[in-house]
Amino acid sequence: MNFFQAQDQARGKTRLLIFLFVAAVVSLVALTNLLVAVSMGFGLGPDAVAAQPPELWLLISASVVGVIAVASLFKFLTLRGGGRVIAESLGGQPIHQNTQNPQQRQLLNVVEEMAIAAGLPVPPVYLIPEPSINAFAAGYSQDDAVIGINQGTLDLLNRDELQGVVAHEFSHILHGDMRINIRLIALLSGILFIGMIGYGLLRGSAFSRSKDRGQQVVFALGLIIVGYGGTFFGNLIKAAVSRQREFLADASAVQFTRSNEGIANALKKIGGHATGSEIQAKAAEESSHMFFGSIKSFSRFMATHPPLEDRIKALQPQWQGALSENSSSAAVAGTAGFAATPPAAATSADQVVSQIGQGQIETAATLLRSCDTTLASAAHDPYEARGLIYAMLIDPNPEIAQAQLDKVHAQAEPGVPAYTVQLLPLVRASSPSQLLLLLEMAMPTLKELSFPQYKRFSSNAAELIVFDQQVDTFEWVLHRVMTKELYAHFERPHRSVGRIGSFRKLQNEAQSLLSVIAHRGPSAEQSYAAGAALLNLARPLSSLADFDYEHLNQALGELRNLKPLQKQQLLEACAAVALADGQMHSEQYALLHGIAATLDCPLPLTNEQYDTP
Amino acid sequence: MELIILLIVVAVLAFWVVSIYNKLVALKNRHENGFSQIEVQLKRRYDLIPNLVETAKAYMAHERETLEAVIAARNQAMAGLEAAAGNPGDGAAMKELAGAEGILSNAMGRLNVVMEAYPDLKANTNMMQLTEELTTTENKVAFSRQAFNDQVTEYNTYRASFPPILFASMFGHPTDAELLEFEDSAEIQAAPKVSF
Repeated sequence: MNFFQAQDQARGKTRLLIFLFVAAVVSLVALTNLLVAVSMGFGLGPDAVAAQPPELWLLISASVVGVIAVASLFKFLTLRGGGRVIAESLGGQPIHQNTQNPQQRQLLNVVEEMAIAAGLPVPPVYLIPEPSINAFAAGYSQDDAVIGINQGTLDLLNRDELQGVVAHEFSHILHGDMRINIRLIALLSGILFIGMIGYGLLRGSAFSRSKDRGQQVVFALGLIIVGYGGTFFGNLIKAAVSRQREFLADASAVQFTRSNEGIANALKKIGGHATGSEIQAKAAEESSHMFFGSIKSFSRFMATHPPLEDRIKALQPQWQGALSENSSSAAVAGTAGFAATPPAAATSADQVVSQIGQGQIETAATLLRSCDTTLASAAHDPYEARGLIYAMLIDPNPEIAQAQLDKVHAQAEPGVPAYTVQLLPLVRASSPSQLLLLLEMAMPTLKELSFPQYKRFSSNAAELIVFDQQVDTFEWVLHRVMTKELYAHFERPHRSVGRIGSFRKLQNEAQSLLSVIAHRGPSAEQSYAAGAALLNLARPLSSLADFDYEHLNQALGELRNLKPLQKQQLLEACAAVALADGQMHSEQYALLHGIAATLDCPLPLTNEQYDTP
Repeated sequence: MELIILLIVVAVLAFWVVSIYNKLVALKNRHENGFSQIEVQLKRRYDLIPNLVETAKAYMAHERETLEAVIAARNQAMAGLEAAAGNPGDGAAMKELAGAEGILSNAMGRLNVVMEAYPDLKANTNMMQLTEELTTTENKVAFSRQAFNDQVTEYNTYRASFPPILFASMFGHPTDAELLEFEDSAEIQAAPKVSF
C-alpha cells in the first residue's frame, strides 16, 4: 500500500469511526433517557414519568449530545496542538540536533535517513526517560509529527533494531494513523466524561440532604454505568483498529528497511527484557495505541497490540519461539551492515512517487554521507543553520553576492555573517540534490529557534530571495519547504482539505504545472505530452518564457484541494514529464521536491540520477 | 432540568480552566527544555578553556596567577551550571550562574590583555584555533540564551495575564521564571553593526 492509497483509506476509516461513534452517542442518549425515567419512576411512581412534558426528554438528549461534543472537541483541540504536546505530557525531552551524545546522535541519524528516504519532513525526536523498550509517533499531520523513543530502546537495541523500530513509527506517520488515533482519543474522552459527571454527582449526593437523594444516586450510578460502559466498548473498537495498524506498520518497516531481522529482533528483545515495553507515565494510557509495543498487558480483546509472538511469527514464519534473553546487556553496534543488491534505478514515474521502495534508506544514508561534513554539522546546529540557509541564497553573480552579503552583515545576528562567508564556497561546491538534503536536515534544527529569532531569520531569508528582483527554481523550492515546515510550526499550520476528486475543474492549473516542469528540460513538447497523457489532459503546452513563481503558486494553491489519489496521479504526471527524456535533471528534481512539499505529499528518494546536470 | 444546564456550564468552565493549566505546563516545559541548549554550549566552552590554558602555559610561565584565576572561575561557573540545569528559571540558580559567568568573563578578559604581550603565543596555530572556537561558542551561548529568555518571557507574560494569573499560584506556578542575563548582554542586545 502506498502513501496515497493509505491516506485515502484512512479517510474511509475515519468515516466508519464517525458512524460507529454516532451509533454510540444515539444509544447513550437513549440509555440516559431511560435512566432518568427509571430513577423518576423509582421516586415518584410510573404515572409521574408519563406526565412529564416531551421537552424534558428533548432537553436531556440535547445535553448528553452537548456534553459529549464539548468534551470531545476540547480533547481534540488539545491534541491537535501537535505531537510535541503529547510527547511533553509523557515526560519527553527534545533531543537537540547538535547533541554530542553518541547514542542520541545515532538515533537522529537513523530518523534522518528514514525521513529523507520517505520524502517526509524530518520530525523532532523526544527522549522518554523510561527503561523499557518502546517508541511512539504522535502528531496531527506530517508537519507537526514527533517521534518519541524510550531511553531503554537506545540502551538495549543495536542500530539495525533501532532502524526497524523507527521504520515502524514512520509507517504510522506515512499512513495517517496518528490522525485516526487522535480522533479516537478525543471521541472516547467525550464518552468517558459522561461517566465522570456521574461520579461527580455521586460524590455530591453523599452530602445532599434533599428528599430526592435516592433518585439522584440512582441517576448518578446510571451515568457511571453508561459512561464507563460506553468507554469500554469504545476501547474495544480502538483496540481492534489499533491491532490492524500495528501489523501494517510492522510489514511496512520490513519494506522500508529491506530486512525483517531488525524489527523482529527488537520485538524478541522486548519479549526477553524484564520490563518489556511497559510505560510508567500515567498520561501514556490514553495514547497506548500509538506505541511500538504494548504499554502494559491487556486482556486479548482490549489489547492495543497483537501478541508479540504473533507479530514475530508474521515477520519470521520459521521462528521457533526463542526470545533474546541477554538483552539486558547493552549492545550498541556500529553502522548498519547492509549486504544486499544495489537499488534498481527507477525510471518510471510511479516509482518516483508512490512509496518508500526497497533500498531507498540505503540511498538516503549514502547521500547523507556524501554531503560535506562541515555543511552537515552546520545543518544540525541552530546557530550555524541560519548561516547555511543564507549561504544557499547567495547569488552566483559576484556583484549581487556582495550586496547580499552586506545585507546579511547588516541584519543577521552577530557571528552569523561569518558563517555565511565561511560556508559559501562549500555550498557552491555542492550539487543541488545535496543542498535539498541539507535543507531538509536543517528544518528540525530551525524549529529549535525561539519565535522572535524565527521571525528575524525568515524575514532575512525572504529578503535574500527577492534581492535580485527575481525568484529562481531553487529559491522557490527553498521558500516552499520553509513555508511548509517552519511557518506551520511557528505560526499557523495549514491543512489541505482534499475534496476535489476530478481534474476537470483544474485543467488550467494542471496545464501550467506540467508546462513549468517541461520547460526546465530539453524537448519541452515531448515531455509535456508524456505527462498530459497520464492525466488525459487535452490542453497544449503553454509557452512560458521565465520561471513565473506567482503563477505556479496560484496553480498549486488550487491543486492542493485534490483528493489523495488524484494528487498521486498529478505527481506521477509531473514525474513523467521530468523523466520523459530518460533522465531527471536536477532543476526538475528540485521543482518536483517543491511541488510535493506544497501538495503535502512525500517524494521519496529513488536513486542518484538526480544529479544529472 | 436546571441541574443539567448547571452541569454543562460547570463543564465548560472546567474545560477552560484545564486549558489554562495545560498551557502553563506546556510553556514551563518549553523554557525548561530550552535551557539544555544553553547547557550544551556552556559545557563546550568549559571544555575549551582548560585546553586554552594548557597551550598558554607553555608561553607565559610568569603569569601563573592569571591562568589559575581563569581555571578557578571556570570551575565555579561549571558548578553554577550544574545547579542551574537542575532548576532552570529558578531565581537564585540563574543569578548564581550569571554571577559565576561574569567572573569567568572577567578572568578571560584579563588573560586576553596579558596575551597581548606574547606575540609568539598569539601566532600559535593551536591557540588561534582555540580562540576562534571559543568566540563561536560564546556567540552560540548568547544565541541560545536569547532563545531561552524569549521562552521565559512568553511564560511570564502568559502567567501574569488575566485570567491565568487567578489560577497560576494554585497550579504550581507561583513566581515568574528568571531570565538568564550575563554582563555582556548590553553588547548582544545592541543593534548589529552595519558595515558597508
